[in-house]
Amino acid sequence: MVHPGADTWLLPDLLPAEELLAALAAEFGLDKAPEYGGMVVYADSFDWRLYQQGCLLHCHGGCWSLYHDDSGEVTIQQDGLELHGSCFARDFPPGRLRELLEPILGLRCLLPLATVHLQGRQTRLLNRDEKVVARIVIETQRPAGGERSYRLVRLFRLRGYEDEQESVRRIFAENGIIETISPLVGFAEGCRAKGRSPLDYSSKFTLELAGGETARQAMTRVYQSLLDTITRNIPGVLADYDPEFLHDLRVAIRRTRSGLSLVKRVLPDPVSERFSREFRLLGAFTGPTRDLDVYLLAREECLARLHPSLRPGLQEFFAGLGRRRQIEQKKLVRVLRTKKSEAVLNAWQRALKRRDRQPADLAGLPIKELASRIILKRFKRVVRTGRLLDAATPDAEVHRLRIQCKKLRYAMEFFASLYPQQELQSLIRQLKKLQDILGSCNDLSVQQEMLRQNLSNLAAGSRRNLDQAAALGGLLQSLLQEQQHLRAHFAEVFAQFGDQETAALFHELFRKQREPA
Amino acid sequence: MSIIAVYNIKGGVGKTATSVNLAYLSAQQQGKTLLLDMDPQASASFYFRIRSPKKFGTKQLLKGGRHIEENIKGTDYPGLDMLPADFSYRNIDLALDECRKSHKRLSKVLVPLQEEYDRIILDCPPNLTLLSENIFYAADYILAPVIPTTLSLLSLDQLFAFLDEIGQAHDKVMIFFSMVEKRKKMHVEMMQSLRERRNRVLHTIIPYSADIERMGVYRQPVAAALPASSATVAYKSLWYEIQNLLTT
Repeated sequence: MVHPGADTWLLPDLLPAEELLAALAAEFGLDKAPEYGGMVVYADSFDWRLYQQGCLLHCHGGCWSLYHDDSGEVTIQQDGLELHGSCFARDFPPGRLRELLEPILGLRCLLPLATVHLQGRQTRLLNRDEKVVARIVIETQRPAGGERSYRLVRLFRLRGYEDEQESVRRIFAENGIIETISPLVGFAEGCRAKGRSPLDYSSKFTLELAGGETARQAMTRVYQSLLDTITRNIPGVLADYDPEFLHDLRVAIRRTRSGLSLVKRVLPDPVSERFSREFRLLGAFTGPTRDLDVYLLAREECLARLHPSLRPGLQEFFAGLGRRRQIEQKKLVRVLRTKKSEAVLNAWQRALKRRDRQPADLAGLPIKELASRIILKRFKRVVRTGRLLDAATPDAEVHRLRIQCKKLRYAMEFFASLYPQQELQSLIRQLKKLQDILGSCNDLSVQQEMLRQNLSNLAAGSRRNLDQAAALGGLLQSLLQEQQHLRAHFAEVFAQFGDQETAALFHELFRKQREPA
Repeated sequence: MSIIAVYNIKGGVGKTATSVNLAYLSAQQQGKTLLLDMDPQASASFYFRIRSPKKFGTKQLLKGGRHIEENIKGTDYPGLDMLPADFSYRNIDLALDECRKSHKRLSKVLVPLQEEYDRIILDCPPNLTLLSENIFYAADYILAPVIPTTLSLLSLDQLFAFLDEIGQAHDKVMIFFSMVEKRKKMHVEMMQSLRERRNRVLHTIIPYSADIERMGVYRQPVAAALPASSATVAYKSLWYEIQNLLTT
């Protein structure tokens, strides 16, 4: 008989482990392993990338174990560094663990998310041939910062000895062991003690709105959710754990700004105006560090574009960017730590919660009606601008279309829960294709501009600067070629997005709803 | 995924000790391993303290599918499972003879198991029969332990002649010396002459060892019971050498 998932139980407080073992000894031979004990630290990225893959990673000193969370089976056990604060997959010595972590974690670092003290012992149950027929582990898990400790007993199955394992379950039940529990209770409680719980953060925007909500109610929830993302990412930006904290922070700020400019006359005008200004400033402060992050992340790709003889000059250039990033990061930290920044976010929070003395004229409109109107208007605008574009259009125009697409995308994401998922997602996918090519065009254009500026600031006369200039020149040429190649293909990608089928779907999903008769 | 048959026409050359220890080392290093005890004497099953299930025998083995899967047993070691032998295997040739495509039957029943296991190791009985033909057909590699004596070397010639007869390539075969006593001049000379005559003779030599003989007493792989013994070192070196050949 199979008992899926029911292989871990809570030991009753009044049942000593020795008494349980004595009961088992009446039917099985017992082979007790030495007791183990120690503090383990569970690590994952801020957005739970390992947990999403069904993996748990913990370290005990410098010894790392990765295991599958439902079977509890250790997949990889390997030595590595000790976890102080944070670390990246690339910090691990070459080996299976690093190979597995690198693609899952990407740019994100590992952070300690829970600390649990484990103490226990494994006992192997033997038949009359002294063959192992089952293994049990009695373990105490004490989460750091938690209120209580948990005494568990786990039964590990062994293939081909199901009858014997059924007897073990019977003996457990006879001794009052009936309450099943997650073997990860210590991990879950340890997270909770640190104010976290699995999957409590994702960089994706998801919010369930109800069609009947008023525009003011719905937008309050949209802004509130974005504000949460902002405040949750600030500590990671201050500590500079990995570049994704700043990226997520900036996206949340940009979404808030887009919200304020897309959805007008829902918040009172003075509020909208004030916070549009405040968030624009906040966004501007975070810009320089992020720009440098983007360049630095492209380091390997840029080096690969160049002839090997030009690479040392470019490495020199990137080293300089790295130093500039440190300076910009310090400035950013200073701004975020000011009372003013904190006050702005608090004031925004209060403005959202407050009842408006003079509600704006669209505040009471059902959200779905307003959302459809906005999305359709934005779609039409994108199509209008896009049709005028060709390979010769100036970069600034391309950039304008890119911003329009972003606004359309944000609007669709804010209100996604109000529309049929399948159709909406297929439209978002199409839009994403367009955005990808626009994004690449823009990145290439911005990078060229940055390189040109750096080139003009280089003083003549030194060998080092000469090497750098040659490298920058080579890179400029390579970027320009790629940009021209992309622009040549823009029209066909846009034709797909602007075709009749897509337009019909947009109109069908977001057309004005008729009043019920 | 590969299937390795540990085989020699002669008995008492150390086939079972090799299968048991290599299966254990494979599971420790390479992921999931299944040991198939094909010998009706069931020595490998005895070493792992696994009895043949009541409703299992030749008939179920040749039917395959769930008839095999329900009778696989977990050993005491993580990642290592075993299909124990049954006394009814002594008549397996008769049963095979009645099957259609009788020389491919074993290969066919192993197919679904290859999805679950990274390696399958076959501990084969000492003879040259329809079952042997099945084993040679199913296995990717034939690992032949050889005691450096005249008769043992003769049995090797018979093996190659048989492979020719059934149209199987010689390069499936890996030979290694087993139960070697280096103080015996004849052993040393025989090893020398075989190395000159044949390819694919592995470097590792498994010495004659009381520790290996005593496996029947402690009923565990020697690599598990006595991890520091010279016998364990020899098996580890053998497994390392084989592993390198498997991947190339």
